[in-house]
Parts: sequence; C-alpha cells; structure tokens
Amino acid sequence: MKLRRIVDELGLEVRCAPRNLDQEVNGAYISDLLSDVIANAHQGDVWITLQLHENTVAVAAMKGLAGIIIINGRVPEEKTTERAAQENIPIMLSNLSAFGLAGELHRLGIGGKR
Amino acid sequence: MNANHGDPGVVQLLGQELRIRDAMNRRVVTISSRTPMSELRPTLRAHRIAGIPVMDDGKLVGVISVEDMVNWITDGAVACPVAERMTRSPRALYADETLVHAINEFRKFGFFHFPVLDRDSGEVVGVVTREDVIQCLLKRLEIDYHEEGIRHYRASHIFEDIVADKSALLFHYYIIGQDFEKAGSSSSGLKKTLQRLGIHPDIVRRVAIATYEAEMNTVIYARTGELIAKVDTNQIRVEIEDFGPGIPDIAAALKPGFSTAPDWVRNLGFGAGMGLGNIQNCADEMNITSTVGKGIHLEITIAINKERVKYETKKDR
Amino acid sequence: MTVADVKAALDAEIIGAGDPETVVLRACACDLLSDVLRCVTREKAILLTNLTHLQTVRVAEMVDAAAVCYMRGKRPGDDVIRLAEEKGMVLLTTKMTSYEASGQLCRLGLSGCEHD
Repeated sequence: MKLRRIVDELGLEVRCAPRNLDQEVNGAYISDLLSDVIANAHQGDVWITLQLHENTVAVAAMKGLAGIIIINGRVPEEKTTERAAQENIPIMLSNLSAFGLAGELHRLGIGGKR
Repeated sequence: MNANHGDPGVVQLLGQELRIRDAMNRRVVTISSRTPMSELRPTLRAHRIAGIPVMDDGKLVGVISVEDMVNWITDGAVACPVAERMTRSPRALYADETLVHAINEFRKFGFFHFPVLDRDSGEVVGVVTREDVIQCLLKRLEIDYHEEGIRHYRASHIFEDIVADKSALLFHYYIIGQDFEKAGSSSSGLKKTLQRLGIHPDIVRRVAIATYEAEMNTVIYARTGELIAKVDTNQIRVEIEDFGPGIPDIAAALKPGFSTAPDWVRNLGFGAGMGLGNIQNCADEMNITSTVGKGIHLEITIAINKERVKYETKKDR
Repeated sequence: MTVADVKAALDAEIIGAGDPETVVLRACACDLLSDVLRCVTREKAILLTNLTHLQTVRVAEMVDAAAVCYMRGKRPGDDVIRLAEEKGMVLLTTKMTSYEASGQLCRLGLSGCEHD
C-alpha cells in the first residue's frame, strides 16, 4: 500500500516531504527507543512513535523506513522537520495513540507479521 | 527547607479508640539510677532505643535519653551515675489512656518517648514512642481494611477523631542517586500508605505519578534526596529536595521536550523532557526552586476533594 | 476482557504468578515511561513495551495498570518478576511486536488510553 493512501484514509497531517508519499509501505513498527528501531524495524516500515527528537530522522534514513508517524497529537521539534525535509523522510502527525493507530492500520490491511 | 525537615518521623495523628497499650513496646529495658553513665551507651545501642526508664526498687524515678547522654559527653563525660544526668520525676503515661492523649503529651512536652505505667500497680509495663503511635495507627487501618472489607476509607475518617487543632501525618523517605533498582520505591511506599489511609484512588494516582517523576529526576541527576509527604484533611503536600547539580534555567526546563538526559537515561525510556510537565499536570500547585551546584527543592500540593471521595464497600464492586 | 483473553490473542506466556483472571480495560503501546505517566486513564491497562527493566513495573504500579507485556520474546529479570508478584502486577511475554500485538488487541475490541 502506498503511504499516500494511509495519509488520506487516516487523515494524517503531513509535516514534511509531501512529495515522497508514493513509496510502498510494507509494515509498521511501534517503538520509542532509537536503538530498538535500529535493531528491529524493517525497510519499508512506517515508524509509529512519540519521539520528537531530530535523531529519529537519521535512524529512519539509515533503516530505509517509509516515514515517521508522530502520535498523541504531539508536534516534532523544528530541527526534526528541517532535517526530515533534507532527507526526504515524510513526517506525519496523528491524534491517535500508538495503540489506536495500529488498530487503524491493521484495518487498512497493514499486517504486522514478521 | 521548612521546620519539618529536621524532625523526621514525627507524626501527630490520633485515635480515640486505641489505647496506649495497643501501641507501646512491652519489652521494657530499665536501668538503675546507680548505673555509671559510661555504661549507658551500650545499653541504648543494644536495644536501639532513644530513652530508658530509670527504676530503683521497682519505682520509676527518672528517664535517661540519648539526648541526656550526648549532653553528658559534650560536658566532658565526667564519670557519674545516671542519677545525676537523668530527668527526674518523669512524665509517664498510663496504659489505658488513649492515643489522642499520648499525642497531646508528646506535643506538649516535646518528648520522643514516655514510660507507660499500669494504673493499678503503678509498675512500668512498657515504653511508647511517637513512631510506635504511628505504626499502631497504620497497622490498625490495615486490619480494618481487611476485616471490614472496606476498600476505600473516607480520607476524612481517620481525621475525624482528632481533637488537636491541627493534625497531619508526615512521611519521610530517603532517595539514593543513581540507584536505578531502588528508584520508585519511595513513591511506591507513599502510594501504599495513601491507599491505606483511604484517600480516593484518583488522588492517590496523581500523587504517585508526581512523586515518581520527582523521585526519578533525583535518582537520575542527583546524589541523594529526600521526600517528605504531609497529609492532612484538606491536602497532600509533597516536598522533594535533592542534592545534585540543580537546574540553571527552570523556565526552560519546564518546556515540554526540554531535557539534558544522557543516552543511558533515554534508552531506559526516561529523559524525554516530560517529567516536570507530568508533575504539573498532576499537581494543584507546583513550586520549584533550584541553586546550581546544590540541588532542587520541589513542592507539590494536591487537594483532597471531599465531595469526590466515595465510601465504597465490597458489595459495591 | 481478562489477561487470559490477551494471552490467547497474543499467543503470550504469563511470567511468574500473575492471575489470568485479572481484568484488562485498555491498552497502551509505549516505551517512554514518562508518557505512560502522562495521562490518568491507564487504570487497569495493559502496557505493551519494548523495555524490560524494573521501572516498567514501577510505572505500571503508579498508574494502577493491570499488566505489562514484553514484546518480541523479551523476558525481564528475576528482580522484575519478584516486584511484579509483590505488587500483584501480571507480566506477559509475546513474540509479536508492539504493532502486531496492538492490531490483535484492537481487533478484540480493547481500546487505547486517552491522552491529553
């Protein structure tokens, strides 16, 4: 499924890299620990987190993640969105919790089997 | 710090129903007035007690305390019998008097312990300290909690019997910096105590969350700290003082996301700059001051809203 | 819903002496413990987390959560298990990720926690 469809279906606010929404999303990963994402997220995952720090962008770029969804209505730091724009990593915002968002993504067919 | 700080464990809380005999320590260690002062210390230490009734021929003639001993040492530790340094014609309490009376006596005389006499025989049957009174009341609450199946005492209930003008419970905890295993145990202890006192679960949770965040801050950043909770009929007031680097710019530290946490802290799921915000959310009032290089003093006040406090029994569940 | 339902849905294992009949009202997938402490609707929640240290149980205790579930087959140390048993907190471990487990529990009708 294309990232764009997820954005449209769930009404996510796209904060940066709006031209990079045509990539395929293979799965999703919930984590707020950078080291855990480095070790366990898969390429093409969309990363669900409430981390706002700019280091998330470097991790997403390194792992080839499809994008970052920041949850609980939280807003990332300016440095984070600037860096994400440079790296062309979409950052999206949701008012849902990680748990609720995972439910919605499953409903859209993004499974979590590893 | 306020005046309570140097006065740990002092509790003024009363029960009409409980008697001094319910709270007193029955293992009475006594000493003769002819005992040399130099032999006092081993006795006090061996029994871990703050004061000893002085008995001659089965009669109470005085009380000798750690304070008396310290004064004796300060004065040069001149060899003499206990008789010369003890407090004569001591105040004593009777075993059948109420804890309310004991509390008032503690307050009136500023003593930390009293000998307890049997009213009929006049014999010393025990010793009671302020701590004994607190322990007794808390223990009793737990007994009621089980026996009557009452899940939540009304917070006011415990205070209803109090005759003093002003009463509060004081709980004092020490926090050790960098000890991640023990971290949270003070908040946990306080939470349990508040539950036992029958404070409404929503209030207890707010206190628990606020103190836990403050305790974690202390553990992460400071060398040591202290947590003092004062509970009265209207509010719970928690003071946390730590001895550490302090916060240079409190306004900045209060902004969400502000953090100076090192990586090890972040990898444990802390230090994302939400702690002080969480405390603020939970507290009705929060006041934080800091001296760089010395530490932080944090005060949190949470009101006990009586209207919201339910009297819930087992069958309501 | 009870812990037993969660256990079945996540193909999970109860660690230590947790009671499978413990009621679970909601779920929260989170690794930032301060965020778990942020909202006051975590009562009887199950916390899904990638952390395994002692503070997972402490935080769960502070918010009156019912259970903590460790993800991707992770298991906490004995000290954590002991504390959980002392506090009556149920511990589980599942091979699923937080994301997959959240999907499964949502499907069962469990709701998330409200945030501010």
